[in-house]
Amino acid sequence: MASEQAPRNEPRQQLNTGPLAQVTRWMESLNETQYAYLLLTPALVLLTVIALYPLLDTLRMSLFANSLTGGLGDFTGITNYIEIMTGQRTASLPSPFLPEAITVDALFNSALIVTLIFTVVSVFFETIIGFGQALVLNQDFAGRRWVRVAIIIPWAVPIVIQGMIFFLLFTPGIGLFIGAENNPTLLQEWGIFGQTPLANTTESTLIVIIADIWKTTAFMALLILAGLQSVDRNLYDVARVAGASKWQMFKRITLPVVLPSVLVAMLFRTIQAMRVYGVIEVVAGCNTVPSLSCLVITTFNQNLFGSSAAIAFMTAAIIGIMTGVYIIGYAREEV
Amino acid sequence: MGSETNNTRSSKRQFSRRQYLQTAIASGVGVGLAGCAGGNGSDSSGGSTSGSASESETTIQFASDDTFKEQQSRINELLHENGVSDSVTVEILGGSFVSSGRKNKYGNILSASQQQPTMFMMDDGWTIPFIARGEIANLSNELDDSLVSTIRDTYIDTMVSTATRNGDLYGVPLFADFPVIQYRKDKVLEAGFSESELETWSTESMSWQQFSNVVADTMEANPEMRGYNFQGANYIGLSCCNFVEIMSAWGGSYFGDFENLFGPIGDRPVTVNEEPVVQAINMIRHFIHDENPNGQWDDFAGGISPEAVVQYKEESSRKPFTNGEALFHRNWPYAININADPENGLGQEKLGTMPIPYGVTPEESKYGPEIGGIPAALGGWHVTLNPNAPDEKKAAAKEVMEALTKKPVQIGLADAGGWLPPVADTLRSNELKEKTSTVSPHLDSLAVAAENAVPRPVTVVWPQQAQQVNSEVNAAFKQEKSAREAMDSLQQSLTTLEEQNAQ
Repeated sequence: MASEQAPRNEPRQQLNTGPLAQVTRWMESLNETQYAYLLLTPALVLLTVIALYPLLDTLRMSLFANSLTGGLGDFTGITNYIEIMTGQRTASLPSPFLPEAITVDALFNSALIVTLIFTVVSVFFETIIGFGQALVLNQDFAGRRWVRVAIIIPWAVPIVIQGMIFFLLFTPGIGLFIGAENNPTLLQEWGIFGQTPLANTTESTLIVIIADIWKTTAFMALLILAGLQSVDRNLYDVARVAGASKWQMFKRITLPVVLPSVLVAMLFRTIQAMRVYGVIEVVAGCNTVPSLSCLVITTFNQNLFGSSAAIAFMTAAIIGIMTGVYIIGYAREEV
Repeated sequence: MGSETNNTRSSKRQFSRRQYLQTAIASGVGVGLAGCAGGNGSDSSGGSTSGSASESETTIQFASDDTFKEQQSRINELLHENGVSDSVTVEILGGSFVSSGRKNKYGNILSASQQQPTMFMMDDGWTIPFIARGEIANLSNELDDSLVSTIRDTYIDTMVSTATRNGDLYGVPLFADFPVIQYRKDKVLEAGFSESELETWSTESMSWQQFSNVVADTMEANPEMRGYNFQGANYIGLSCCNFVEIMSAWGGSYFGDFENLFGPIGDRPVTVNEEPVVQAINMIRHFIHDENPNGQWDDFAGGISPEAVVQYKEESSRKPFTNGEALFHRNWPYAININADPENGLGQEKLGTMPIPYGVTPEESKYGPEIGGIPAALGGWHVTLNPNAPDEKKAAAKEVMEALTKKPVQIGLADAGGWLPPVADTLRSNELKEKTSTVSPHLDSLAVAAENAVPRPVTVVWPQQAQQVNSEVNAAFKQEKSAREAMDSLQQSLTTLEEQNAQ
């Protein structure tokens, strides 16, 4: 066909034989899998440059000692990791990486434990509440559009504003939840919060978790709602005819279809929660609520680059392991 | 449904791999061109400067705080009146009021060798680590020898020492900060104290015992108001300042004798578990929680501070005082400016000041006479030079630094924002009293504080040590640990850090 057209159209022939044409022909000769990988290549290259290289460089830096006079010290292998894990580096950290004892105070003083508590509790409640919101939003009712807007507003609030809201809410004498010493609120009378919750690690952790749930539940609700809307409504009609109860319909139809979406949403949230920093810094400060990112940033700001890199790499590794657990769970659901 | 599927298939066919490649290449070229176009001609540091536009006009950036930025035009006026060329303009960059936030920001700028800002306002509490890392210019090499000598000879020694390393000067002290107790003069008078007593308080430090009873008596007459507000949060201001004052008032010290404050790391005693330090914390616990084991504090009034002090920093503690909810308040001179303002504060007639109370006399102190007696943490800020700045901006910065050492500029700064001169003679001068309306009535108290200023022990390892101090002392204030437990734990942490970083 092309050879028939060639004598009639000289410029077109040039186009068909130029380097672009050769690349195009090569592209068109690829099978679907090869073509998919080709399309993924730019993203993978970009990811390598902006994620993998820094990660590997972080690993390299973590193998050197700290130097208080700038830059990195001598090569020390895995000494940073050993000293951080065994508590020998605790004096130079704002809080220990691992708990120094099995008491409530010691657990809430450990950056790893606080991060895990924050992640598990916040992701759990965000999933449950987000699922509930998504189920409501999936119904047809008057004003659904406005309810959706209302639910998504916290997600649009910047972290600093979110932090300031909760900081002020729990500041004695200013916020709604903490009264002056001679005028305690119900939350204080019930013993949930003391007079200075923002100076107390346990209470501040609870406040940070509440702040995170308030903001991020909308994210879960939207992702789960997307999953819910992919459920074929005919299945419910069939189930109804077969006499299934609402719970049975949820368990047998809704949940299996929506579970992959829930797992993906939980995966995203878990990764974000494991890196929590901003809301902590604004609400109570890293000195009161230690998280892994707090440790990384504090040590970095003190020019303890070896320690900072080691904690950052361990944080990445922990997130990698948690991500792996989700991916395995997701693969099982897919099967 | 069927037509939808056909349409989708049809659209899939229409967008071929060939078209995808063409679109991708076109987009790439477009974005590339846009990037190249945007990259040309911009200043690498992103700063605005007219210095490169014309040699006769030079604008230098001075990284500072928001209160300094508010006075930009007045400061430029003062500089031009005192020797800085009219062609030089100082653009003041605002910044966080929280000192550590600015430290981190400057650290990032300087470690990246950025050319701007040309000058930085650095806290005397963290200038030395920047010097040790070689990130700021050595002014002994940059400024005239006579100017360096003037700074060494006339400025407050302890302040100069926080910008000196190995005998070289790296910062020009800009202003000094000395905390005092600010109090509600009107309420104290209502409580039965006399004008003459108040006058005495402004120049003669009282003991903590007397102070606690004065606060309690004033609270009794004003039951709706809080007593004594100070900064007890787990933050940098605790280790550098509040705790230094309380501890040294009782004769306690981080590292024994005064001469050990600046090192040598690893070759000085750690002394935070000694009795005066524990006693100082117990006194604060008595003030906050009315804790009084074994009747140790029978002569001291207890429960005079709200529990909220354990989460108070400067601003959070000042606001209740400025709003008329608290009677006594420890803070820096900037707060005098706010509180003396009749529109936004209390007004001068309601505001009294006094030096920080003492616990033991210098003679009674183990580490006296420098430690013990009337304490006042030495705060203050230096102007430092960015070594990466272009030469013409460095030259302009040197002009500015020279002008800052002149008395009229120092007095002008005190008048503009309450920034106190870092020169003892200027601080005591009548000229300062005459020309500074807001700070003037409080200069006597501030002079007492200046004479008794205690610097923080700044070394390269101090930032790590400070965070341990903040954490342990705050835990003891909150009664999470006993004072003894907290100080034993702190002793261990500080000793470890000394050993790990021995010089």
